[in-house]
Amino acid sequence: MRRVGMRGTRVIGLALLGAVLGFGLVVPLLTGDPMRQDLSATLLPPGAPGHLLGTDHLGRSMLARLAHATRLSLGLAAATALCAAVPGLLLGLLAAWRRGWVERVLVGLADGVMALPGLLLVLIFAAFAPGDFLPLYLGLSLAFWVEYFRLTRSVAGSVFARPQAEAARLLGLGPWHLLRHHLLPELGPMLLTLLGFSAAAAVTALSALAFVGIGLRPPTPEWGSMMTELLPYYEEAPWHVLMPGLLLAASVLGLQLAAGGRGT
Amino acid sequence: MTVLALDEVAVHGPQGRIVAPATLRVEPGVPLVILGETGSGKSLLAQAVMGTLPAELHATGAIRLGADALPARDTAGRRALWGRALAMLPQEPWAALDPTMPAMPQVAEVPRFVAGLPWPAARRAAAAALAAVGLAPAERRFPFQLSGGMCQRVALAATRIAGAPVLLADEPTKGLDAALRDSVAALLAEEVARGATLLVITHDIAMARALGGELAVMLEGEIVEQGPVARVLAAPEHPYTRRLLAAEPEAWAPWPHRTAGAAVVEGEGLAKRYGPQRLFTGIDLALGAGEVVALTGPSGTGKSTLGNMLLGLVPPDAGTVRRRGGLSAFALQKLYQDPLAAFAPAMTLGDALAAVIRRHRLDSVLATRLRERLRLAPALLARRADQVSGGELQRFALLRALLLDPALLFADEPTSRLDLVTQAEVMELLREVVAETGMALLLVTHDAAMAGKVARRGVALRPEMGGA
Amino acid sequence: MGGLIRALGARLLQAALVAMAVGIACFLMVRLLPGDMAYRVAAGRYGMDHVNTAAAEAVRAELGLDRPWWQLLSAWLGDLARFDLGVSLVSGDRVVEELSVYLGHTLLLSVVALLLSALVGPPLGVLLAMRPGSAADRTGMAVGAVLRAVPAFVIGLVLMMVFAVQLGWLPAAGVGGWREVVLPATTLAIGLAAVSSRVARDAMVAVAHSPYLAFARTKGLPEGAVIRRHALRNAAVPVTAYLGVQLVTLVEGVVIVETLFAWPGIGHALVHAVVARDVPMVQGTALAMGLIFVALNAAVDLTCLAIDPRRRPPS
Repeated sequence: MRRVGMRGTRVIGLALLGAVLGFGLVVPLLTGDPMRQDLSATLLPPGAPGHLLGTDHLGRSMLARLAHATRLSLGLAAATALCAAVPGLLLGLLAAWRRGWVERVLVGLADGVMALPGLLLVLIFAAFAPGDFLPLYLGLSLAFWVEYFRLTRSVAGSVFARPQAEAARLLGLGPWHLLRHHLLPELGPMLLTLLGFSAAAAVTALSALAFVGIGLRPPTPEWGSMMTELLPYYEEAPWHVLMPGLLLAASVLGLQLAAGGRGT
Repeated sequence: MTVLALDEVAVHGPQGRIVAPATLRVEPGVPLVILGETGSGKSLLAQAVMGTLPAELHATGAIRLGADALPARDTAGRRALWGRALAMLPQEPWAALDPTMPAMPQVAEVPRFVAGLPWPAARRAAAAALAAVGLAPAERRFPFQLSGGMCQRVALAATRIAGAPVLLADEPTKGLDAALRDSVAALLAEEVARGATLLVITHDIAMARALGGELAVMLEGEIVEQGPVARVLAAPEHPYTRRLLAAEPEAWAPWPHRTAGAAVVEGEGLAKRYGPQRLFTGIDLALGAGEVVALTGPSGTGKSTLGNMLLGLVPPDAGTVRRRGGLSAFALQKLYQDPLAAFAPAMTLGDALAAVIRRHRLDSVLATRLRERLRLAPALLARRADQVSGGELQRFALLRALLLDPALLFADEPTSRLDLVTQAEVMELLREVVAETGMALLLVTHDAAMAGKVARRGVALRPEMGGA
Repeated sequence: MGGLIRALGARLLQAALVAMAVGIACFLMVRLLPGDMAYRVAAGRYGMDHVNTAAAEAVRAELGLDRPWWQLLSAWLGDLARFDLGVSLVSGDRVVEELSVYLGHTLLLSVVALLLSALVGPPLGVLLAMRPGSAADRTGMAVGAVLRAVPAFVIGLVLMMVFAVQLGWLPAAGVGGWREVVLPATTLAIGLAAVSSRVARDAMVAVAHSPYLAFARTKGLPEGAVIRRHALRNAAVPVTAYLGVQLVTLVEGVVIVETLFAWPGIGHALVHAVVARDVPMVQGTALAMGLIFVALNAAVDLTCLAIDPRRRPPS
């Protein structure tokens, strides 16, 4: 019963994620330039002719801006999650395999990164070049690789210490067999879950930083910065402020539910 | 002085009846032991009496406690009797004690909440109960600071303190080694001597023998034989009971002894310590071709470690291990206590064997021949390790090891997780294989009777007195 | 005692790591952006219209930005070790003094948020765990999943729109009496409670299936005593341990929520310092934020040690 419930939420998550992804990938091809201003048609409500979701305070199409922002955020989140996953996974394997001082050094390094909350790390990175794209990306990847490292090291460490690993060694089955048949079935699903959660965390961090003016900045269409830009017009156009927030929440929820495991 | 009687008590699940109606009677001072293997439904019967069946199961029939008759279905009514009239010693007491609470309050809360004593009086009663089982110095310790046997005694003190005349014990020796098993039997016998009405559920014939009283043998949800312990064990009537008794190591024919050939592996002056704990020192152990050696001793004395050392899996702190020259790198193989932990979880057994065959470029005809020799059906090859029985899986593990034509097989308690009859089957196959292949066998076991039947030579490890 | 000393030692080491990381990062900032920064500082001090090369050079000389890097780094870390955090490049005030004002505000906000979430989250989780799989349980889990997905600034924004702008019940920004703290603290507490209720629920459900709870019942204890003496205490162990993980959420949330509600705390100051590249302020605020994180973690460690005897080494 519990498993069926788990699958149900996973399907909802995948559907939600698919919808948001489709919006971000397809709609930018169909709509016009998200930067084109039209000061004669500002703050049009959703449903206005020619502007399905209305226009913002500079007369730019909300639909185009939201779609571009979706593409940007999800793309950046996927890149960050992957760039954190690869070194984290490899270093985790290395630590579990070699043990000894290699493991101690890597664990010390991970503890050093974990000493600060991730967002603080990204903020310090952002201070080198506020509004720039590169430090955000580097800071997030640096903050996230530790999670992959810790997961891989602990799972691989426990698998390598089990009788099945010893038996495989006694039977002459090599490291590739061990990775493919003993580690992967256990680690794989956990890595996918972590990938979903770290992509969700990256999406949140990117928009939160943009919202407080440290991340990507206007006029780049980004959920957080769009909300900051539109906040002063809340009285006239409350939906405009909330639309990016809704998309953001839908993406995070979709990623988290699709990732499965327990929500954090 | 209360008689416990089961009147047509049966257990039903969503798919129908699991335990057939059982009518039993337990007199004060005469324990009743229900003997059966895993899955025979003996624990369900105990839970039906206690009223602790899982929600998806229900019981029918009636339970009589002295003059009161209670419908087996009425679990709420039973709960009112827990502690006062009806008590149950839990399985695996180290898991049944609250890990965050010291021993004393776990006992004292019973008189406090069941008898309504004020805390100081409850604590005095608990102190006396713990002292009576010889645990006065352990009052303030937490369960994780107590040994398995000590946890068993704390649980017994907490179970008995409210004075329930009827005591159920569900697998009280599960997870305990032979020495502790005897002390649990002695503790329970004391309760009986004090007039308790005792119902014991066990898979352990030695437990039944030690307690005496009445015996009921259970098979696939039915009680197939019943009578005084001494009579049933001496002259079993039901074929299953006979099979069960014949499967006891005590009843085995001794393995034939063969003269040992040239040493396959030799250990000299071996020593190992884990942190401050010294496992063993100065052990000399050599195994000749075709020789069977049993390695015995209580848990924690390093039996597995010594075997692993001979296989080259663990480096010795002192001493040397020499292999006979010319042996292949894979000539020393191992069987594990938990065969499930020795197989890759997501592979079918067929794929697991194929991986070994490919790696060593073996002939797959050899695998088929061995599979037939070990009486394993071809249909099992398509299943994963967790989809076959423990006995079948251990035979697959043996097959996998035999593929490499080992000169020595290290069998690390290979049957300790198997039922008695399955254990006898696996060991019989092992005997035949040893005779046919001429390999040496190093068998770790905590069962002295088995060691005596199997090996000409035994090595017993004792706890090191020098260790901390 | 051994466990206590070991836990505190590990946290002290973490504090030192935080100081090193923040110090070196801020030093690198100075090194990598000297010219740019000198101009920026001059602009901050004298206004955009009055910046020229001379003013920038004056700033550079005043701050000693042209010494060799190793001298600067050792001087920099030496100052840090003495808690001499320097002077804000923007306001010209001593960083330590500014921090002491902000720190009080941040601590007030964090403590109120933690208390609010502790009052709501775990009790709600325990309540849901009483009937796992029921309609109430599933609704609670679904609402929790959605709330965990909504970032703090969106929750804060909605609260602000509804309660400050639409209804006008509470102020949208600033600091002062209790009315100002309600919205930011609630924003933080919602996110924290969404997580802690789930952890508490799962912990309670796990404990309910444990053999020690079954034994507590068959011993004859009444249900109230079973829950009070055994279930709650054991469920509290993972909930408290998880609080350590949640502190990351709290500290990150503080930065964002303070900025949204213009709450003059450390997080707000940090964001402003980053935007203005006020390196001494970045260093001071990041350090303070990191040390708060370490201190709260140490408090969680001690609580875990108190609740769970298994963490204490045998005496």
